[in-house]
Amino acid sequence: MSPEIAISTLTSPIVLFFALGLIAALLRSQMTVPEAFAKGLAIYLMMAIGLKGGVAMSKTVLGPDLLLLFIAAAILSFGLPVLAYFALRVGAKMDRINAAATAGHYGSISIVTFVAATQALQLSGIVSSGYMVAIAAMMEVPAIISALILARRGMKSDAKIAGSERGELIREVLLNASVVVLLGSLAIGWISGDAGMEKIEPFFVTPFQGVLCLFLLDMGLSAGRGLRQGWRDLNVGALMFGIYMPLISAGITAVLCKGLGLSLGDAALLITLAASASYIAVPAAMRLALPQAKPSIYLTLSLGVTFPFNLTLGIPLYILLAQMVTG
Amino acid sequence: MFSKIRLELIIEKPAFKRACRIFEGCGVTGYTALPCMAGYGNGNRWERGTDLSASRDMVMIISIIDDTLLPKLETELKNLIGAHIGVLCVSDVSVFRDGKF
Repeated sequence: MSPEIAISTLTSPIVLFFALGLIAALLRSQMTVPEAFAKGLAIYLMMAIGLKGGVAMSKTVLGPDLLLLFIAAAILSFGLPVLAYFALRVGAKMDRINAAATAGHYGSISIVTFVAATQALQLSGIVSSGYMVAIAAMMEVPAIISALILARRGMKSDAKIAGSERGELIREVLLNASVVVLLGSLAIGWISGDAGMEKIEPFFVTPFQGVLCLFLLDMGLSAGRGLRQGWRDLNVGALMFGIYMPLISAGITAVLCKGLGLSLGDAALLITLAASASYIAVPAAMRLALPQAKPSIYLTLSLGVTFPFNLTLGIPLYILLAQMVTG
Repeated sequence: MFSKIRLELIIEKPAFKRACRIFEGCGVTGYTALPCMAGYGNGNRWERGTDLSASRDMVMIISIIDDTLLPKLETELKNLIGAHIGVLCVSDVSVFRDGKF
């Protein structure tokens, strides 16, 4: 890996603000980012990257290569939870329901890790395609289906939970805020193109880095508090899983990238997506579909262990992997 | 004064809509929901707004009902908290306006 990428990632303001939030939470600081404000920041960031991706897509000819990439990403998102499930069952001695719910998080993606990776690529002058945003949004869903199949394997048909209604899980999975905002902004960026973007650029492009710092400060606080509150439910095997599973996913995806002939930027982003773990869309879906699973296990792992690892050491490693398979 | 039943359900936020459907489906005339700040249960502390998915947040639903509705509501709410994280509390209360509940 070029040490410059690692150093510039680790010393970038976004990573340092994340570290500040993480340390503050671990030291039990009372610092908080107001909840509604943090949600607003998340929507802003998703709108910004969706719009940017859409504008880039409006200048690209979408061919069969892209379809192949979508299929490969869907297979990855569906297949990685199977691997994660068996790793958790064997390595962390986790029960079937918790292993399946956690595995689902590791097939799905973290949009903040994706944003941080795009920033790291930009800092290094590496170009990536706008449609990777659509790939990110699409990869949220297959992992959830895979996790549900794994959890319900060999189970007798489960009794209906009072108050549940048909279609509520599908609504939660397909119409959750991140999928709607990302795909909606992507479509708006695609339709409005450069001319439209010019008008909103002062709001969505120039302040982006600063807003990302603020958001990552909050993510650091969330990760630290999650670790502090949930670590008792994790054994050594589970903690190690939070580190080695992203590396396994990254390795598998790197081989796939070579087969697909992706550019360096796109390969780095696909590897990052596969190595990241969800903490927005999947936890909400799992609380509806598998309420027996403990959120303190899967949220602590994805938000408290894997996210900090990916943000600090993972992203430079994934860029290196991409350089190896595309170079 | 009239005797009624007060139900307090503290339930995880992802199951909030399910709880609302139960209350409405059983014919209650009204309920009020409040966000919960923080708490402790099963050896874990939780705090509102710790993560963006809000899957660790809890809400409290308060409803005053006529005792004729209790058997059905109780069965359904017991089923709900059998699956989801939650606590149900039932108590006798007195109200001024009988026709409202």
